[in-house]
Amino acid sequence: MAAVRPLITVHSASGAPLPDASIPLPAVLTAPLRCDIVQSVFRDISKNNRQAYSVNIHAGKMPSAKSWGTGRAVARIPRVGGGGTSRSGQGAFGNMCRGGRMFAPTKTWRKWHRRVNVTLKKYAVASAIAASAVPSLVMARGHRIGDVPEVPLVVEDSAVSGSKKTSQAKDVLTAIGAYADVEKAAASKIIRAGKGKARNRRFSMRRGPLVVYAGGNDQERAFRNLPGVELCEVSRLSLIQLAPGGHMGRFVVWTAGAMASLETIYGASGKRIPIPAMTNADLGRIINSDEVQSVVKPALRPPQKRLRKKNAITNIKALEMLDPHAASLRRKSAAAQAASKTKRDAQRASN
Amino acid sequence: MPGVPESQLKKQATQAKIAAESKTAQLTAKAKKKSDKKEFIVSAEKYAAEYAATEKAAIDARRAAKANGGFYVPAEPKVALVIRITGIIGVSPKAKKVMQLFRIRQIHNATFVRLNEATIRMLRLIEPYVAYGIPSRKTIENLVYKRGFGKINKQRIPIAHNSVIEEGLGEFGIKCAADLIHEVITCGPNFKQANNFIWPFKLTSPRGGFSRKTKMLHYLEGGESGNRGEEINKMVKKML
Repeated sequence: MAAVRPLITVHSASGAPLPDASIPLPAVLTAPLRCDIVQSVFRDISKNNRQAYSVNIHAGKMPSAKSWGTGRAVARIPRVGGGGTSRSGQGAFGNMCRGGRMFAPTKTWRKWHRRVNVTLKKYAVASAIAASAVPSLVMARGHRIGDVPEVPLVVEDSAVSGSKKTSQAKDVLTAIGAYADVEKAAASKIIRAGKGKARNRRFSMRRGPLVVYAGGNDQERAFRNLPGVELCEVSRLSLIQLAPGGHMGRFVVWTAGAMASLETIYGASGKRIPIPAMTNADLGRIINSDEVQSVVKPALRPPQKRLRKKNAITNIKALEMLDPHAASLRRKSAAAQAASKTKRDAQRASN
Repeated sequence: MPGVPESQLKKQATQAKIAAESKTAQLTAKAKKKSDKKEFIVSAEKYAAEYAATEKAAIDARRAAKANGGFYVPAEPKVALVIRITGIIGVSPKAKKVMQLFRIRQIHNATFVRLNEATIRMLRLIEPYVAYGIPSRKTIENLVYKRGFGKINKQRIPIAHNSVIEEGLGEFGIKCAADLIHEVITCGPNFKQANNFIWPFKLTSPRGGFSRKTKMLHYLEGGESGNRGEEINKMVKKML
């Protein structure tokens, strides 16, 4: 790819850019942005933490019901035998019966998980990391990054590892302009619509910034209670966090160490960066280039519009287009007729 | 100050070239139009003189023969106009084929047919289905002016302008309507190409109706079909 990489400024914990701490853009941030791969891999991967559910295997099949057959003026559905209770004689077994087995009882051996090719999973993660460096994609995903000084947003290591209290973490995020996204997440907390609220998923909330650090995970403590904020060590970035909902462009706050280590993780001896299908994707430039235009066939002309047929026997302009000599003769004779007519009229008038 | 991007410069250059080319094309077209008009008037006058001369020659020959006590035998007609007057139901296979060859597949279709021994025999086969005769110059002119369509690239293009004729027959030296009519009436060296260029005339049914007892009989028996010589011109006038 490009030999010269742009520099990313590293910001201090107070938000000011550090003068000599710039990091060249890691190569993975220029990986191809394949939203189709991210979407399909996310869809399959998010199925993998599901728990099986099913109805009881015997549900609706317990009674020893038998059809009464025909001739008894009742429907032929199997009926519960015995007596002495209102249950006897009631229909059983069918999905239409009260207390009967459901249609197509759900089974635990449904295919819950999906396997995804390892290469695809890696491709998706690389794409999602690259997308987090594109401000328009991050904004499109819904993050509030209006006050963020630079995308990708890199903060010095001590801003994350040195924060021991949540208030310090909040100050750091405010200083670098990331707190608007946290506020958005906090404001979006509502009781979930649907049965999930009674199934230990009471609240739903937007995602805020993802803080990516390098090193031990006791750095997480200050940031983890802020609403919407997630933390991740750089060596185990996951698609679930980088592209929530299958949508690329998570707002990521990197530490300097994490950003620098991206170059080694996705380096020559590390993970493979996917190669884009086209090295030059500027179609307009390619089409208008000399190399292409010199061998291209001339543009198709629209079919020639034909003149409408006019009757040249009666229409002198139409005759002009076919036989100018005949037209001039006709004009002369018409003029001569008109002249002789006026002469006759004048004679009659004078008589 | 940033310069003009290379792509814009290239586009400007190609646009300028296209504009220059179209301008020269316009000028040549205009000049051609002017010279064409002169050329067409000259050839039309030449043909008019030729038609007058042939007519005068025929009259003189007839007078001379009368004076000498001999006979004047006028030349056999060279071109006939054939009009189909019946539909497509119940046509015998030989006649069907001949009418296909003459390109008169539809009722009231009309074409010019060169008269030689072969075509005269063919016309005999289709006599019950067609009315044919010797068209006059005026008839040929009117057919081309009102119902003239040319075959260009297998399409039926109206002869609304001499450019249509030039496009179809330019390589045979027929560039205007006068040239085309002259080629047909004198059955010139390129009669085949000129006639084939003319799409079969689609005439209307005769205004005032077929005036005879019944179409199916021969003209000589009081019907409409077959050879009626010069009378075909009256028929065409009603069907034009």
